[in-house]
Amino acid sequence: MSFIEARGVEFAYSPDEEKVINNIDLKIEKGSYVAILGHNGCGKSTLAKLLCGILVPTEGQILIDGADTADEEKSFEIRKKCGMVFQNPDNQLVASVVEEDVAFAPENLGLPREEIRRRVDKALETVDMTEYAKHATYKLSGGQKQRIAIAGMLAMSPECIVFDEATAMLDPTGRKEIVAAMKKLNSEIGITVVTITHYMNEAVEADRIIVMNRGEIIADGTPKEIFSEVERLQSVSLAVPQVTELMYLLEQDGHALPRGVLHAMEAADVLEAFIKEAKNG
Amino acid sequence: MLKDVTFGQYYPGNSLLHRTDPRIKMLILIEYLVLVLVAKSELAALISLAFTAFLIAVSGVRLRVLIKSVKPLIFVLAFTAIINLFFTVGEGEPLIEWSFITVYSSGVRNAVMMLLRLLSLVLGTSVLISFTTSPLELTDAIEALLSPLKKIKVPVHEFAMMMSIALRFIPTLIEETNKIISAQKARCADFESGKLLERIKALIPILIPLFVSAVRRAEELADAMECRCYNGGEGRTKLKAMKSRPTDYVFLFAATVVTVAVFLANRLQFSEILTLCKAIF
Repeated sequence: MSFIEARGVEFAYSPDEEKVINNIDLKIEKGSYVAILGHNGCGKSTLAKLLCGILVPTEGQILIDGADTADEEKSFEIRKKCGMVFQNPDNQLVASVVEEDVAFAPENLGLPREEIRRRVDKALETVDMTEYAKHATYKLSGGQKQRIAIAGMLAMSPECIVFDEATAMLDPTGRKEIVAAMKKLNSEIGITVVTITHYMNEAVEADRIIVMNRGEIIADGTPKEIFSEVERLQSVSLAVPQVTELMYLLEQDGHALPRGVLHAMEAADVLEAFIKEAKNG
Repeated sequence: MLKDVTFGQYYPGNSLLHRTDPRIKMLILIEYLVLVLVAKSELAALISLAFTAFLIAVSGVRLRVLIKSVKPLIFVLAFTAIINLFFTVGEGEPLIEWSFITVYSSGVRNAVMMLLRLLSLVLGTSVLISFTTSPLELTDAIEALLSPLKKIKVPVHEFAMMMSIALRFIPTLIEETNKIISAQKARCADFESGKLLERIKALIPILIPLFVSAVRRAEELADAMECRCYNGGEGRTKLKAMKSRPTDYVFLFAATVVTVAVFLANRLQFSEILTLCKAIF
């Protein structure tokens, strides 16, 4: 069975309001790295909250490791398994000192002191913030605060972390740090990562991309598949990564180039081969 | 506008007061407040001054910091001293009598005592609590000391949690206020001129966005805390244990002795002490 499974999920914030999420069926496998793309107001943040049980669907159901998020008795178990990192780094730090903040989740779980200590040290090491353990949280940069928020989640040792536009309020350096941390969590610790974003360059790093529009999933596939369909993405006002767009424009100009090129180096290789062939031919 | 807020400013260090158990410090604080407010006779005032000096000495807080903490209170201190100086009606001949101003010797005495008392209160509580106790230690201590009230269903844990979150958000909200002020200034808002009523009115465009954003922050923080398995105080453990050492109890005992001494000293007149000394030697 999949780790997260959504069956016919619908959601509206109040009964007389329009549905934000419309009939979504979705399976997310354990250990996968999924990016959810969509422009503002397409319901992707709502979906994120549904996927980790903060919100409960008005129709349909969401199962996390077999437990229904609507089941109040299982909510603690679900919370423990599925964490979330929010957009605003300031609004999710609870304590004034870094290590005390990271310790918040294990403290809530009622773990013994030595275990809390061990988890806090390990989590800070994973996000490279060990030297800041005793620092005041408000003096850190945005990227550092967000790394502390990730460490706070790791200390809970969840199986899945949902990132709700965790990079949207950061500068480019901070964004890189967080994307690197996500990759590390996924590949080294085997945590299932679901990242909600509208930065294409971040989505490229995932194994799978889900594109949303008006509360519905309109595309689901590997980055290569998704970014091959440039027109379709543009029709829901999403851009493709710059390199992909360059290749697309060249192709539109009548050059026989492949679609779905995602990285600059890959594009350079393709173009080099293409030019050599053109010379020889 | 809000640059020099020293409220609750913690200066990390390793002095005797830094190492003292925060619970013991709270108890000493209560005794300290009582003894400073109760001291009436000259001898009692001397004892309380000496104890204040002792606290400052063992706090390891630098003189510059102390002066900075008193600076904003100069007006209040001067005002109290002047009121006491001119408005105390004493017995016997006034020291100075010039048109409507009359100063009695008891007025001078009252002014000096009041000044010293206020200064001791500010400096003593600062070095005892705010400068040498981290906000988290403080709330932990309050929670521990009030925990007997849990028996009669007083939400002690929730109260302590609220306090530590409030302290955590002070710098964040100050930063936000400064941002809003800048934003409103950029729209030609004027906060510095006009009559008092106009100036108060000018604050409304600062306060409303600040409140709106504070409420939004609170909602997000609540979600983030729930995501980290926060379930109230029940079954929670702590990363850091409060440990009281024998020296803490010695300190507490010493403070109790000083308090009793102040009460006794209040009963004795200075002349009686002199005769007592003569009798001994």
